[in-house]
Amino acid sequence: MTSLEILGAREVVNRFGECVELVPMDPNFHDISVGLYERDGVSTVWTFSRRPGVEGRMQDIVDRLVTLGEMEIADSWNQLRFPCGHLHTRPLKFLTTAAIERTAERDRPKELEIQDSKSALTISMTGEQVSNRHVYRVSVNGEARNPTLRLRAILAGFVRYGEMEKIDDSTVSFTCGQRHDGLARLILPYSRNISAVEDALEADALRGQMTTSTLGFAST
Amino acid sequence: MPYEETMTPRERVMNALAGLPVDRTPVSNPTNVATVELMDLVEAPFPDSCRDPELNAQLAATGYTELGFDSIQPYFTIIQESSALGCEMQWEQKDNWPTVRMSNPIWKSESDVKIPANFLEHRDMVSVSGAIEILKKQFGDEVAIIGKSMGPWTLAYHVFGVETFLLMTIDDPAMTVRILDKLKEATYLFANAQIAAGADAICIPDHATGDLVSGEYYKRFLQDIHTEMADEINAPLILHICGRTLDRMPYIAQTGMASFHFDSRNDPQEAMDAVDGGIGLVGNINNPETLYSRGPEAVRKEVYACLEAGVQMVAPECAIPLQTKLQNLLAIPDAVKDWSAERL
Repeated sequence: MTSLEILGAREVVNRFGECVELVPMDPNFHDISVGLYERDGVSTVWTFSRRPGVEGRMQDIVDRLVTLGEMEIADSWNQLRFPCGHLHTRPLKFLTTAAIERTAERDRPKELEIQDSKSALTISMTGEQVSNRHVYRVSVNGEARNPTLRLRAILAGFVRYGEMEKIDDSTVSFTCGQRHDGLARLILPYSRNISAVEDALEADALRGQMTTSTLGFAST
Repeated sequence: MPYEETMTPRERVMNALAGLPVDRTPVSNPTNVATVELMDLVEAPFPDSCRDPELNAQLAATGYTELGFDSIQPYFTIIQESSALGCEMQWEQKDNWPTVRMSNPIWKSESDVKIPANFLEHRDMVSVSGAIEILKKQFGDEVAIIGKSMGPWTLAYHVFGVETFLLMTIDDPAMTVRILDKLKEATYLFANAQIAAGADAICIPDHATGDLVSGEYYKRFLQDIHTEMADEINAPLILHICGRTLDRMPYIAQTGMASFHFDSRNDPQEAMDAVDGGIGLVGNINNPETLYSRGPEAVRKEVYACLEAGVQMVAPECAIPLQTKLQNLLAIPDAVKDWSAERL
């Protein structure tokens, strides 16, 4: 049953754990805030808003987390976990944004392959089982001045935004060692351009901060 | 053994401001606590809650009812007076602070400085004074209600533009003093209106910040004005200045104000040493790193550092980021209570 209880701030934290990701304004539902709270590997989709239709919107977000991130429903309709039991905090940030702001439709490649944003190379990923670990082999194809250097930078992007481990110069793996094609597809566009992603994250972080800079007091 | 709380939140805050004993250190942010989640909880989003007394009061109250702070602060921004003075505003959306468009200042010279006759009746002023009336009616003497009135230095940034005003302080210091004298009337008017509405104390933000002006500047242009305010305004005053301010703290300590709200760029113990008992301190949990992006343990560590130094009231260093996660805000009173249980 999709119903949201009316809970206070402390009750939410006590019951669902710490907020690991907070989208301040849902552009697809009355600009409400949506948080992802985490306790013991279970993520709860939560909002304090009680606007009519909000349960349906939360259900929609849950469905998208399942579809895009291959999460599974846990104890309740708005609670999810990854089948591997790990939290994957960093990629979860991108997954949450994709689920709420619908950026996946714009950014996520259909396959584990994408055009590089800084060269004419095509970036491809293939998954394979190596002993008891699922690894992703990343390759670049096409013409570029220094493809080896590009590949190294792209792998660094996977390590940074996917919280993945670098196995060797062309393979990475999620820390749990399990297969997460959904997360890999989501992270692939971000891995191409760390500086642009960092700028965007910094701009997000600065929004809503009251500082002498943001208020214009440092304009001299 | 758990310590026993014997005071109401209001008694705790007012005693701390008066330098009297408290049952535990109060948690009180003189520059407000508001987050996007709390806005949703009480259906009082920005910018509407900055412009409507009812919504304002509902959102402000959550600092006490939801987070467990010992005070309520119903003035979220720093631009209400500037709006009433006629500045061009950018009201922004729910997740960002309203600002003055300082690229298009409204005044150019001393002769332009005039406080409108209907200054206090402007909707952006009534949103604060009206909210205080509502909160006083709702909470009585249970919790401290802290008002806020911008100091003349901050107002000068807004009405003249930051660069123009700072150049003016170099080119014509005498005129600068006269302008500050005129602008301080706005500070008095709004502070007194809030006290009449039920405010227990007033925060005076006056952004002679460490990254823009020196301690000597503070002494030259503002110390006397702040001293006069402490004499003239009939409520405890809390001065707020951002940035590194250790160099001006000895001057601030001589103003007679009750407390100084200080930034995390100042070490709590060094700050306590700098004011040397001349004024109370409130602060200084870091906003952009600790409250915004770290977790409760990091918050707890900073709260403990303040308490160990003897800071009289614990608070975030400034208005908190609107996307601050609730667990970090709840961690502030929790840490104060834990520290008190361990030490008292």
